[in-house]
This record gives sequence, C-alpha cells and structure tokens, in this order.
Amino acid sequence: MPVTGAATRSAAGSASRLVTIPCRPFPLTARRDRLALLVIDMQRDFVEPGGFGEALGNDVAPLRAIVPAVARLIAAFRRHGLAIVHTLEAHRPDLSDCPPAKRRRGDAAFAIGDAGPMGRLLISGEPGNAIVSELAPAPGETVIEKPGKGAFYATGLGDILSAAGVTHLVFAGVTTEVCVQTTMREAADRGYETLIAEDATESYFPAFKRAAIDMMIAQGGIVGCAATTDTVIAALEAEGS
Amino acid sequence: MAAMAQKFVPADPYPWPYNGALRPDNTALIVIDMQTDFCGAGGYVDTMGYDLSLTRAPIEPIRSVLAALRGLGFHILHTREGHRPDLADLPANKRWRSRRIGAGIGDDGPCGRILVRGEPGWEIIDELAPAAGEPVIDKPGKGSFYATDLDLLLRGRGVENLVLTGITTDVCVHTTMRDANDRGYECLLLEDCCGATDKGNHDAAVKMIKMQGGVFGSVSTSAALIAALA
Repeated sequence: MPVTGAATRSAAGSASRLVTIPCRPFPLTARRDRLALLVIDMQRDFVEPGGFGEALGNDVAPLRAIVPAVARLIAAFRRHGLAIVHTLEAHRPDLSDCPPAKRRRGDAAFAIGDAGPMGRLLISGEPGNAIVSELAPAPGETVIEKPGKGAFYATGLGDILSAAGVTHLVFAGVTTEVCVQTTMREAADRGYETLIAEDATESYFPAFKRAAIDMMIAQGGIVGCAATTDTVIAALEAEGS
Repeated sequence: MAAMAQKFVPADPYPWPYNGALRPDNTALIVIDMQTDFCGAGGYVDTMGYDLSLTRAPIEPIRSVLAALRGLGFHILHTREGHRPDLADLPANKRWRSRRIGAGIGDDGPCGRILVRGEPGWEIIDELAPAAGEPVIDKPGKGSFYATDLDLLLRGRGVENLVLTGITTDVCVHTTMRDANDRGYECLLLEDCCGATDKGNHDAAVKMIKMQGGVFGSVSTSAALIAALA
C-alpha cells in the first residue's frame, strides 16, 4: 500500500510539518514531505495549435489558458522541495501498446500514430509529444509515459510514489474529465488522498470540467477534494503550517 | 468452420500447449534479461562473483529458437531489467541488498552504472539483439508484467501461449512465468534456453514447474520446439 510505503525522507525537521489546505468538501491535511504534485499530460499535442487536440476539432485556447496556473503550482512545489511528477500520454512508435479500439475511436482526420503537423500523433519522442516548454520538467522530476488515460495503468508510477513516501496528491493538467479524473480515481482506490487544483485543469468541454469536479467532491469527497491554485499555494507558504 | 489441426510440442509433464492451439498468431517467444549485466564480463552478475558460464549457456540455444520462430512469424518480445538514472523506481531494500553483496544497483561498475537504463551493461547482448519491430519491455522488477505494458502488448496481439527463455531461471524467468500463469497464459519453459547463477537453483526451478501436473505450465527444450514446428 502506498500509504504505508517506506518514506525515504527524514521525519524530522520542517519536512514533517503539517500543511492544511482549505478545500471542498473538507480541508485536507498532509505532512509536507508526503505531498506530491501530479501534472497530467500538459503536452503540445493537447495544448498547442496544430496538435492532436486541435486535429480532433477542439479549441485549444482554454487549455493554453491554464498554463500560467500550472506553472505557479510547479514553482511553489519546487520552492518547497516537494515531489513533482509529470505524465505524458504516449505510445510506442510501432503502436504495439495502442489497442485497436483506441486507435479506431473518433472520426478525426488523424488517428494515433498518423503524421501530423508536430510529428506522429501521440507517439513517444515526437515533437508534439513533448511537454509544453513553459512547464518543462526540471532535473530530478519524474516523467511517466502512459499508454492509457490513467497514469497508474501499465506504468511504474505506483512504485515511484511509494518509494518516495508520498500519500497526498495534488492534481493539475488536462483534460479534467478524461486523464485527470481517471488518474484521480485510480489514486483514490490505491489509498491516496487527492486534491484537484480546479483552475489548473481544463477540458475541451466546459460542462464536462464542471461535472467532473462535481463528481469528484460529491458524497463527502468520494474521489477527492478541490481547491484553487491560490489556495494550495497559500497553504504551502503559510508560516508555521 | 472446420477445426484447426492441433499441434503439440513434446514436453514434461504434458505435451504443450494443453489444447494444441499452437500457431504463430497466438504464441509469443519472450527472451528475458539477456543483458550484459546478467551474462557479460564486468556486469552485475560478474561483479557479484558468480560463474558466468551458467548464465551464458542459454545464448546459443536461444539464438537458434529466435532464428526458427522469426522465420515462422511468431511474436517475439524481449525484456530488460533496469532502473531510471535517478533511481526513483528502485526500492530502498533492493538497493541495500545489492550493495551488501558488493554490486550496488546504480553504483559505478566496469560496464557503467549497474542495472541503470542506458548504461552499457544494461544493454541486451549483441548475439541476441532484438530485431526491428520486436518490442522491448523495460522492467524495474523481477517479473515482466509488474509496472510494465507487457500484458497490454500481449492482449493486443491476441497472444495466448508464451514460450519463456532467458535468465535467470529461478528469479526473473520464474517470476514472469508464475505471473503469466496466473493471468491465464499457457506457458512453456525451454530449459536449455534458461540459466541461473546456481545450477541447483536452476534444476529446482525447472522441477517446480512440473509438480502437480504442471503447476505453472510445461517444460521442453529448444530442439524439441524447433522440431515440432518444422
């Protein structure tokens, strides 16, 4: 169980201080050194014009608009020396990890693996598969390439969080109702406390974003909690927290 | 539709596969961890002081099986045990144990950092290099399914039968075979295509498979498999 996994950091000193984040439906309290930021799929394919998201007929402007909020969260976690994990939806170049059903879906002009304006769509190593430059991972930050929507499926994410002693996850990234929500649900089932930074996530469909967050925090936070980026950062910065 | 002809490989304790459905489209050969770290001079196993001839013995038999199965169009996959350069996927106790025996994972060795992805010692040996189009599974553990996309790849290809080869018999091959068996794959281990750091452990690992009517599958040899497919 991740929650009881070996913590590799010292329990002494400031790292073990508690941080309390006021959020919906209830405040979340965590030991600072058990908190990690999970930035989901802020890749050019989804966020920039000319990528996969736009090829599917979506307006990417709302997704681009959250980049500054995600950047502020990343900066705050870095400032406090907390763990940051970035994910990418990516497939092997030979598509052997892409189920035919996934590739067939949708009626877009492009399918996964087809050539697009930024290289082959959703293929590991292609230009469009890179994280947007404003949010580029720093040395020491883990990057997880995932073949599915959830970041735990067919990846080493669970082990990496467990080895780092992480118990609480703050989520940012895209899209809210697909990859972010799947990963939050996977995390909740695995015993993690989860929080979504609601202005650091976005969907191509505003109604789906609202509904996804409503679903997460319904029934006493059945999947997790929600708070704004400012609230999360303020809690991290709070003196003596 | 007429029933397809059945085909079996002579094996112990039962002719394999159980249902005779042995075809290139539903059968994969998996070559486990034939890396310099496990069978090359200066690698992890060598650094620990074990007899390399035991883990090098399967190289030629695997090479003949690879050649035969490639020619027949079987699915072929390779695995590599290794960790991220920052060791974020290395459990603390695994590192501690490796250091205790003088071959710390992540530490510098004659073939680069031991069991670290991208280092010379981590590469698959030239004799058994993957061909274009053969997937390579990078795994952080002993089992090839754990924290990897192997199951996704096998299901996607419609694989039902697995032929297991590689090193070491009692560690990574056995963990992978047990895991595959629990997932419902029909498994065959080719005993001359496997090796361990201890002959007694190799023999015992092979014997364990045959108990209880083939508790994890069946056991055969490279020659028997190649002859059956000829």
